[in-house]
Amino acid sequence: MKKISYKNKKNHGYTLLELLFYISFFSMLSLVTINAMVIMTKSLREASIQAEFLQSGSVMERISREIRQAYEIDATSTETDLKLKTKDSAGTDKTIEFKFVSPNIQLWEAGSNSGNLNPPNISVTGLNFTQISTTNGEAVKVVLSVRSNNDSAAREQYFYNTIGLRGSY
Amino acid sequence: MVVEVLVAVSIITVSILAAMAVAQRSVHVSRQAFHSAQSAFLLEEGAEVLRVMRDNSWANISSLDSGTDYYLNFSGNTWTLSETSSMVGIFTRTINISSVNRDSNQDISSSGTDDPQAKLVTVIVSWPEGGATVNKTLQFYIFDIFS
Repeated sequence: MKKISYKNKKNHGYTLLELLFYISFFSMLSLVTINAMVIMTKSLREASIQAEFLQSGSVMERISREIRQAYEIDATSTETDLKLKTKDSAGTDKTIEFKFVSPNIQLWEAGSNSGNLNPPNISVTGLNFTQISTTNGEAVKVVLSVRSNNDSAAREQYFYNTIGLRGSY
Repeated sequence: MVVEVLVAVSIITVSILAAMAVAQRSVHVSRQAFHSAQSAFLLEEGAEVLRVMRDNSWANISSLDSGTDYYLNFSGNTWTLSETSSMVGIFTRTINISSVNRDSNQDISSSGTDDPQAKLVTVIVSWPEGGATVNKTLQFYIFDIFS
């Protein structure tokens, strides 16, 4: 078997042209592959950053819900510190306070700190409350901006909402 | 021998390229999910703003023309509607008002007599996403409950 193939083959080894072709072919393929790997790594990091941004929406969700249930805004509230008068499930009065202590949002319930609202990898870069009073009630405009700690570009993302105090009617 | 190597290398390359495409698609999808979460708050805000205006005076609502695109504007510590186009980041938010009709049973219907104490509000938030425009709509009735 070996003998026959040896006899049939006219050339031994590769010509220079063949070698050149294979080397260029493989270097092209490896370039494409390495490039694809880099893009994949970047994409996965970007996807995880976007997931963190998405998660930080829960902060706005919580603030909105508490404002909606409240009946009055405490007079000590400032632009970065909103103190709400609300009622617990038993109907007794209590206070809920959202305090912006850069880079976190602290939740204070009935005067004691319950911890940060933002997920650990999210830095809050801004929190602004604007009180709106109407003829028949009160509302609060909220602007929240966040940044991911894993994001080398340090992009800021914004959430906007305005919520009326249902308890104030 | 060379042919086998070529085939193997091509298969590996194609699968890596496919994985790359999937990774890029996942970024697109997660970005879209985040934008749609942001737009949900903008829609909610649009609805609340109409209630804030109603709480001030029903005339703020009843004076709006149906078929006109309104945009939100915050100035002087309160919300107002304006016909000048405005954007919130990448999002465009428009508000449309239409009148509400009631039939002989006082139920809301497509025809009948106009109810001056009710309006149908449509809030639309749209933004560009990968070459296309995405729309989110919120529709609700608002009533003159304070007069």
